[in-house]
Amino acid sequence: MPRLPLGSWVDSSVDWLQAQFSWLFDAVSSGITGLYDGIDAVLSAPQPLLLAGILAVAAWWLRGLAAGLLAFAGLVLVDSVQLWDEAMATLSLVLVATLVTLVIAVPLGIWAARSKTVSAVLRPVLDFMQTMPAMVYLIPGIIFFGVGVVPGIIATIVFALPPGVRMTELGIRQVDAELVEAAEAFGTTPRDTLLRVQLPLAVPTIMAGVNQVIMLGLSMVVIAGMVGGGGLGGAVYRAIGNVDIGLGFEAGVSIVVLAMYLDRMTGALGRQVSPLGRRALAKARAATARRRTAQLWAHRPQPVTALVGIVVLALVAGGAGFLGGSGTTSTTAAGPGGGHGKKVSIGYIPWDEGIASTYLWKELLERRGYEVETKQLEAGALYTGLAGGQIDFQTDAWLPVTHAQYLEKYGNKLEDLGSWYGPTSLELSVPSYVKDVKSLADLKGKGDRFKGRIVGIEPSAGMMGILKDKVLKEYGLEGEYEVVDGSTPGMLAELKRAYERKEPVVVTLWSPHWAYSAHELTKLADPKGVWGEGDGVHTLARKGFGADNPEVSAWLKDFELTEKQLTGLEAEIQETGKGKEQQAVRTWLDAQPGLAERLAPQ
Amino acid sequence: MSRLQADHLFKVFGRRPADESDAVRALAAGADREELREDGVTAAVVDASFVVEPGQIFVVMGLSGSGKSTLLRMLNGLLEPTAGRVLFDGDDLTALSPRALREVRSRRVSMVFQHFALFPHRTVLENAGYGLEVQGVPRAEREKRAAEALELCGLAGWEKSWPDELSGGMQQRVGLARALATDADLLLMDESFSALDPLIRRDMQDQLLVLQKQLKKTIVFITHDLNEAMRIGDRVAVMRGGRIVQLGTAEDILVRPADDYVASFIQDVDRSRVLTASAVMTAAEGPVDPDAPVVGPDTLLADLCALAAAGPHPVTVRDPGGSALGVVHKEKLLAVMGGLTPEEVTLRA
Repeated sequence: MPRLPLGSWVDSSVDWLQAQFSWLFDAVSSGITGLYDGIDAVLSAPQPLLLAGILAVAAWWLRGLAAGLLAFAGLVLVDSVQLWDEAMATLSLVLVATLVTLVIAVPLGIWAARSKTVSAVLRPVLDFMQTMPAMVYLIPGIIFFGVGVVPGIIATIVFALPPGVRMTELGIRQVDAELVEAAEAFGTTPRDTLLRVQLPLAVPTIMAGVNQVIMLGLSMVVIAGMVGGGGLGGAVYRAIGNVDIGLGFEAGVSIVVLAMYLDRMTGALGRQVSPLGRRALAKARAATARRRTAQLWAHRPQPVTALVGIVVLALVAGGAGFLGGSGTTSTTAAGPGGGHGKKVSIGYIPWDEGIASTYLWKELLERRGYEVETKQLEAGALYTGLAGGQIDFQTDAWLPVTHAQYLEKYGNKLEDLGSWYGPTSLELSVPSYVKDVKSLADLKGKGDRFKGRIVGIEPSAGMMGILKDKVLKEYGLEGEYEVVDGSTPGMLAELKRAYERKEPVVVTLWSPHWAYSAHELTKLADPKGVWGEGDGVHTLARKGFGADNPEVSAWLKDFELTEKQLTGLEAEIQETGKGKEQQAVRTWLDAQPGLAERLAPQ
Repeated sequence: MSRLQADHLFKVFGRRPADESDAVRALAAGADREELREDGVTAAVVDASFVVEPGQIFVVMGLSGSGKSTLLRMLNGLLEPTAGRVLFDGDDLTALSPRALREVRSRRVSMVFQHFALFPHRTVLENAGYGLEVQGVPRAEREKRAAEALELCGLAGWEKSWPDELSGGMQQRVGLARALATDADLLLMDESFSALDPLIRRDMQDQLLVLQKQLKKTIVFITHDLNEAMRIGDRVAVMRGGRIVQLGTAEDILVRPADDYVASFIQDVDRSRVLTASAVMTAAEGPVDPDAPVVGPDTLLADLCALAAAGPHPVTVRDPGGSALGVVHKEKLLAVMGGLTPEEVTLRA
């Protein structure tokens, strides 16, 4: 069977598209970014409680008093776990994605309902869109649209479009053929048949599609969070990366609150918009009209009134927020120094040393007058963004071994600003209560105790290759142990589970890693040196960053932290709590007199 | 008053237009439609020709699959004939542009459907006014005319109701009102009463006949129920396998079925409610008994039986002018009721 070079075709067409249509991608990107920023600005302007109140009133209008109270309680919960800004970012992302999806999906669905050919062509395309794993097109999405909310929104649109199209098509197709024929028999034009008969009767199904679109959009926020979408998805992504069950739960519950709110509201809106739904409501109202109190509770305004009311309240709230100008989001404090508000964007993988060094530099650069933006990303997305120039630099490149594959692909588009910490090491580790295993050689013959398993991480990770190809062979562990592919969070969760039950377990780990401060672990010695020399943690910048920012580039080249400094900073961040990383950095810097001067001399 | 004419209408469904025109040629030469089916061609209507005179109720009768609904849909251009023409008031509907055809459907032809086809998201009044809305009649006038049509159909006071709040019979009255509101001359009724239960169906047939006396529309009525066809049809076309196998008055079909198929069909018909005194009377021999009951020539046999049984004398038939047309003998009445044709009775006598 000859090898079909499908992958390389896709590779080259991605390159070609990128070269030929970058203007188009830029236009799409700035359009979506504008929409997102606009919605986010409106949602973020009012005080959380005020906006929660507005949303609760909307719920009251659409569904009744109980729904309003529950909505308020849910939203206040989100605010009280300090995820309000993230929730609003996620809400904006979902709203933008839903809006764009519907603008595309409804006309496509109508077209498909009217033409068998279109329907037949669309079906496999929609299947492809819905089942293709999102990460597969997210990375090209970054190449085209850069990191940030846009690829996340695009991925959400790709994923959520199919049900929108299908439900619209279904809604129109399931309108009784006799009704359509009746319209035609009275001389109705095809356009009016659509507008007066098919669409009004398809509204309930189309609204079910809208609902699906929103729900699928919410299910994609974590994926969006991996490519810099931020919001609750970013919080969940960070939480699972660090096995922070508490944060993960809080962010997850916040997503659920948003999901339930949006689900119930679109459901109620669907009934208001659909002529048949309005009828059912009117019927129900007539049935309860006899009891005065029931009448009061069942009061619902017309959708137009409700919409106008919500818009007016939102504008008032937005205005109040702007006028109030509390400026709590002022991360742009332009200090003295040479930055003059120049923008610098730092990307990071939510690993402890990445977070610590990124926020350290955010603080330092802001003190020097730069305007700094930080983006939390998945590793592949980070490198793609860096190579594409949307990210200026990142501080968490493990070179030359662990991140070798990224450098191989993007090396010529990156500048290496040198290592700031090292050496790192790759290793297998066991809990310290496993007394008799101190070195890799000790594993031999104890396969039964560890159930013959070595808990691995992502199969794509460089260290997994080394482990399977070299380590097992050199120490004669082949056959006795099986390396279980999985994920870093999965490995950490397994470690935590086994640790708490005091079960023997072997995991793949690396240093520095917070797991060593959380648990007492033994790094298995590697007398044969199979793991190789340790990596250095490097700072990588986009091509041309040094020329554009000689000052920053020089500081980063000289950047260095000792193990004591790094673990101290990490511990400070851990203690101060999530979302307050920069505050932790300030506290830590204050306790290190002169360090800021040394790292970023003026 | 409008006159409708179908002129050698064919409707063939094939994969390619070439297949369809080939099929029409073959069918016109007498080919069987079962042979064509093997080639993937379905002949729904084969060489249908008829004329509907103004003010007539023309019934097309046939079992399902006989092509009657397809035929009906060619009359208002919902389906385009594969061959043949539809002439309405002298206009060739098959030659009209889609736009002109819509204009005809909106103003001159209206339709009543089997399952009522009322728009569930519109009130009864809005449904009745739908055709006028399509015509672009202003709201006030539209509502006035729709309300009049509803009143005509016995639905005054139900304007604000919704279709699903009405019984089946009432829903079909709304369907009828919708068709009448546009003042179209030609009314196409597609099994309009078939979905109703028998008593309601009878009521609706009666109401249609009453309305027709007043409105004098030209009506094409599709049904699979021969009793219904006989009851309301001025002329009846019996369809089988896409072809019209017999065309005539109810009495023609009942008394002189064209073939075995029609004959087997009419076995279940209640003859006493179709045949009239004129079909069983014989010329009076000698003076007419002055005590004998007198009936008109249109009297149904069902009504005649009671009178005939009441006395010893033959029943006398007189025309509305009062002159005697003939008498009805009990023997002949019984023979015809029993299924013999009047000719056979005469022969045996």
